[in-house]
Amino acid sequence: MDPKGISSTRNARNGMFLSGLAILLGATTPACVVAKSMDALVSTPQSVPHKIQNPKRADARLAVLWIGHATTLIQIDDVFILTDPVFTKSVGGLSARLIEPGLDAANLPQVNVALISHLHFDHLSLDTLDMIQHKIDRLYVPKGGFAYLPDYSFESHELGWWKSVQLGDRPDSLKITAVPVQHNGMRYGIDIAWMKTSYTGYVIQYHGITVYYGGDTAFNAKDFSDTSDLFPSIDLAILPIGPIKPRSIMEAMHEDPPEALDAMALLHAKTMIPIHFDTFVNSVDEFGDAARLLDAQVKARHLEDKVFRLEIGQQKVVITK
Amino acid sequence: MTAPVDVPRPILTAPWLATQIIPSPEIAIDHGTAFFGMQWQLTPVLYSFGVNRRISPWRGFVVDPFARQSGSVEGFISPEFIAHSGNFSDQWSVRIGTRAYFPLVDHGETLSASIGAAVSTVHEGAADYEAGIYTLYGFIGGVVTYSPTPDAPRWIFTLKIRVF
Repeated sequence: MDPKGISSTRNARNGMFLSGLAILLGATTPACVVAKSMDALVSTPQSVPHKIQNPKRADARLAVLWIGHATTLIQIDDVFILTDPVFTKSVGGLSARLIEPGLDAANLPQVNVALISHLHFDHLSLDTLDMIQHKIDRLYVPKGGFAYLPDYSFESHELGWWKSVQLGDRPDSLKITAVPVQHNGMRYGIDIAWMKTSYTGYVIQYHGITVYYGGDTAFNAKDFSDTSDLFPSIDLAILPIGPIKPRSIMEAMHEDPPEALDAMALLHAKTMIPIHFDTFVNSVDEFGDAARLLDAQVKARHLEDKVFRLEIGQQKVVITK
Repeated sequence: MTAPVDVPRPILTAPWLATQIIPSPEIAIDHGTAFFGMQWQLTPVLYSFGVNRRISPWRGFVVDPFARQSGSVEGFISPEFIAHSGNFSDQWSVRIGTRAYFPLVDHGETLSASIGAAVSTVHEGAADYEAGIYTLYGFIGGVVTYSPTPDAPRWIFTLKIRVF
């Protein structure tokens, strides 16, 4: 599947003008990616057939619906956690969506907690938060995240690395902990010099179930090991597997599929769901690269019963009642 | 909960300084003749009414695009070069004024507008008025400036480029 023919040279030619502009502006989106994005920006994203209308699963203790990119809807018993919500047709004005969100925003249940991993446009979508703010009870951003978070109707809080918040009095009530990852906290490029803390992963605990959400991270053995030391029984790790290429640039910021599986091992996670691929034009990867590489690695490592690669809009019941 | 929150303050860095050197090209129409020009901008002070109410609304010189485009009022100083006939030193001027930004789409990151007024060293402190529209987090925009000074009315059309 190659939606919009994103690899075509025609797209690159169409994007030359804006690419030049991006270079001129020193924009944070690489020019070659902007070039690839041109056709997709003026096209309708590929539709998702048979979208789930009611994502609440009565048979699930832990279920995950991949809405696309880093946006997942996590159900743990009776609570819903929404990660990096993005429902817009593009992000940052330059990066186009290839496949529509796997859940209509109108069908989003009331979300107990929304988590923002960092401030890049494909993770903090102000337009999306405007759209769904009435369905969010509270939102957490990494430390420093308030710099680019306007006021909304829901509660919002910053959460620094290794800080936890427990929502309820019972020992097994919902608990969110921010955990370190390897990425950066900028939004506009120049601000990388001072936005040094505004990126994070999260560990979600509720009713004895533990979920790790990596957001967007490079492979960092220490971060994963330290997290595993504090959370020795992770039931599910939701981990990014892209962008992959060019590796010499991406490896400082993004895991590739083999590294994501290495991270899963270091986290001692029982299961893994990959994210952050094949949704937006945000790299030079061909559509399907990350999925193909992950599938091959999963087969080689005999992890077929532990790694669940979902299609956008697909929901996986990880733990049944 | 409305307790104040400290967020990292924008700081002056070499990359930021480098981006400030990028000029915004413009066309000035003076007495019916068009001249090429360029302008730059410094923002000594900006008050943002679009940022989270729990953080400081004040910025100086280094202004993050969100603080500006989400809604703000700024005082600005704009050195300007217009290549009209005359001495090289006469081709330079400075405009000092105030400008207000209003978010239109996506808290101003996708689309925002501005209105402003300034005085210019051109023609002994002539006043001018401007309106602009911006996209891509304010990185690029179009500004129209009109000086109604009776003996020297002029229009300036500026392609505003501001990386940060």
